[in-house]
Amino acid sequence: MMAKYERQFYPGTSVPAKNRKRFIDPKVKLEKLREIAMDDVVKILGHRQPGEDYKSIHPPLEESNEPDCPIRQMVTPIEGAKKGDRIRYVQFTDSVYFAPIVPYCRSWMYMSRFRGVDTGCLSGRNIIEMRERDLEKLAKELIENETFDPAKVGIRGATVHGHACRLDENGLMFDAWQRYRFNAKKGEVEYVKDQVALPLDKPISVGKPADEKELKKRTTMFRADDVDMRDDKEVMNMNLRIHRLRTLAGFQPWAIKGV
Amino acid sequence: MQGAPTPERIVLPEIMIMPSRLLSADTTEKILNKIYGVKYVRHINCQGESLPLKLTSGPGSGLLVNHPERKVIKVNGKDEELRILVGRIFVEIEDFEHVEETLQKIEKICEELLPFGFDLEVGRYSKFKPTVTDYANKRCS
Repeated sequence: MMAKYERQFYPGTSVPAKNRKRFIDPKVKLEKLREIAMDDVVKILGHRQPGEDYKSIHPPLEESNEPDCPIRQMVTPIEGAKKGDRIRYVQFTDSVYFAPIVPYCRSWMYMSRFRGVDTGCLSGRNIIEMRERDLEKLAKELIENETFDPAKVGIRGATVHGHACRLDENGLMFDAWQRYRFNAKKGEVEYVKDQVALPLDKPISVGKPADEKELKKRTTMFRADDVDMRDDKEVMNMNLRIHRLRTLAGFQPWAIKGV
Repeated sequence: MQGAPTPERIVLPEIMIMPSRLLSADTTEKILNKIYGVKYVRHINCQGESLPLKLTSGPGSGLLVNHPERKVIKVNGKDEELRILVGRIFVEIEDFEHVEETLQKIEKICEELLPFGFDLEVGRYSKFKPTVTDYANKRCS
């Protein structure tokens, strides 16, 4: 009898591989490291003022006459979709200097953990598009949990450049628009602008940055100067297999046998 | 940031300082002034990440960025507007015979001002004569 299939989420036994598994596996509860008020999250996102009503793009589903369809019966709408909220976004930039999560891993994590998310992945940043009220809750969760580090992760709607730059003297990821600064007295990072660099009325603290030792424990990043991907055989084999299939068969990987 | 170099008769060597962190305006000011005090230093070039004056996209387009590191610093007695967060410094040496000696002095300055680490290299990193592109773009004749 065959053993019951258990989803592995990510191959490998190295620290980054294990962390990737933890982030992607929806059964793992991620650690909450800081507390940020919802109003502050709303201010950083900059889509509406705290306390302001949500704008809608269609009537609530209850009031509209949706045609009868099996998909509508199968899928429970998320709260924002029920109310007809606008689609809004939040975007995170992750530094190559041991940010707790990398953009590609963010996409895997979002698809595995959350509903109603549309995500876009680039080399240094990852955007989430979602109904506004759900987005705010999700953004709060992502800023508060272990995937965020105040110095190595940035909340940036535009001009995200900086993920591959060296850090500044305070250990912060470079930001040409200076949305956040280091408060040396408190040892904390403060946002002074929202994600598109419009000034905030008062600074919002997102807590103390983790030191490099701690970040290396939490990171999902393979780096030649820390855990090299080549040292994790299973991860390397999976990547080589994907590469080989794509090279030999393009978008028809099933056409190649025995790889 | 650039001074006014005199034409070079021969290609002069440069020392490249590559700090492990991007330098703040204060550190940049200190290190440049110290390096200018070293004998045989002819000219210094800096490279780094650009700090724009204004926002160029998004709803805040046109607003001032007000980056605290974009400011006027005093280098070698002159006011210079720092428009970058410095990532690399190229120091041109005017005498081949004294590169090693100058390198040691610069290393001492770096050890004092760059506690987070740095790399030093000797070579030639910037342009010393017009290229084909300069002729094509009519930057020279």
